[in-house]
Amino acid sequence: MLLDEIKSVLSFAAFKADPDDSAVPWNKRFETRKSLLINVSRSAVSWRSINKRGRFEEAGVMDSELGDAAAQRGEEWRGMAEGGWCSVSVNHRFIISLENNLMRGDNCVSLLRTNPRAVLGPKYDRGKRYAICHHPETTASLLLAVEESLVKVTEDTLKNIQLKPGRVCCGLFAMLEHAILSIYRASSGGTPSDFVLIAACEGSLAVLVQQEGQWRDIRCRSGLGPEAVETALQIISPLLAKVPQGSPVYFVGDGHDNKFRTELMLHLEKVGAADLTQDDLLWTIIGEH
Amino acid sequence: MNEYLCHDFKTPRVDTSRRLPSSFRAIPIIFYVALVGSAYVMTMDYFNYKAALKQKTDAEERQKISEGKTESLKNEKASLEAEATKAEKVAQWMEGARNIQPIAVKIARAVQTDTRITQVALERSEQVPANIALTIHLNGSKVSTELAAIEASLGQLLYRSYSPQQTKNGDVVEYHSTLVRQAE
Repeated sequence: MLLDEIKSVLSFAAFKADPDDSAVPWNKRFETRKSLLINVSRSAVSWRSINKRGRFEEAGVMDSELGDAAAQRGEEWRGMAEGGWCSVSVNHRFIISLENNLMRGDNCVSLLRTNPRAVLGPKYDRGKRYAICHHPETTASLLLAVEESLVKVTEDTLKNIQLKPGRVCCGLFAMLEHAILSIYRASSGGTPSDFVLIAACEGSLAVLVQQEGQWRDIRCRSGLGPEAVETALQIISPLLAKVPQGSPVYFVGDGHDNKFRTELMLHLEKVGAADLTQDDLLWTIIGEH
Repeated sequence: MNEYLCHDFKTPRVDTSRRLPSSFRAIPIIFYVALVGSAYVMTMDYFNYKAALKQKTDAEERQKISEGKTESLKNEKASLEAEATKAEKVAQWMEGARNIQPIAVKIARAVQTDTRITQVALERSEQVPANIALTIHLNGSKVSTELAAIEASLGQLLYRSYSPQQTKNGDVVEYHSTLVRQAE
């Protein structure tokens, strides 16, 4: 044991981030190492591997639950991940809500994982795991709550096939966070006071409305199939009506089936929506950041 | 705004220790620098040791040659010194050796006519050439007076009789003494 520690210091491994160190971006944790990215939706599992040079390689999708996919693809996944480490995106059984005056601070993120009650107070629910995205300019925050049982089942399922989850996140929430940050970064001259942000990821949808510089409403839904464009429009339309005409509408979406995204954009283009989607956006967010 | 970092709500591990601070990277860096430095010093020491060994061998060879030369010089010096000693002795002997003709003349003149000298012998000492063994055989009535006169006349030549002995053998008195040259 002592020899291993000495070896890790002399090889500088002791100074590298642990594969499951959530304070370090994924690509820094796995420099020159292969890793696997998995996205779990209600009825489909998709995956992508990252090679030693940090480039995306093999991709795949399977229309089944995670347990079945893991049983069939376990060996293939193990070959894609060095040391069995993978980043998992869970895209169902979650709720995103709008909160105000939540604790902010450097240690808030780690405290939310270790002692969520200290951050959320009475809003804390024992059976949930949380993540927060703060409004950059106001006291509003987006609060993601995921079923803890789902997280544990996902972790156990992966452990059963000798995979180690280095990160468990919500792909839709991550895309939403990333898009919010991109919008605020892009508009350095002044953030639009009114906008609608629509995020879609592998059958999950979230719509955020900002009015007069304040986040006013958030709606989310998971488990939408590729044909559920109408359902999505039913969620989006009332929120679009809340902002003045001509307000920016942003859309980010990713998924193995582009049909949903394309059809939705056809409708959104009518209200001048800007598509912020980039190639492999979900994988880029959970595999690099 | 900071760089975006994706959220994470996985079950935290309990068996992890804190990552070492970045400043501790100095430890392995110092270790490797020390390792390289030691290797360099050891390599240089090895080459210096080899060079020193060669220098030592060369020095030993030079020492042997010098010792040989010194030995031959010593022998030469010893032989020269021996020759010098011999020469000095010869010189001393030559310096100590004085003419004996004046002694014979003085002896002859000191003796009266009625006393006969039957034998006179002057033998120079080999070791001390300044000393001369004198043997005189006298025949006469006043031998003692004659011998005193001889000693007195030899005294004029700065010779002094040392341990004189007289023996009478019939009419002949045999006189033996060693003439020692007195310092002037």
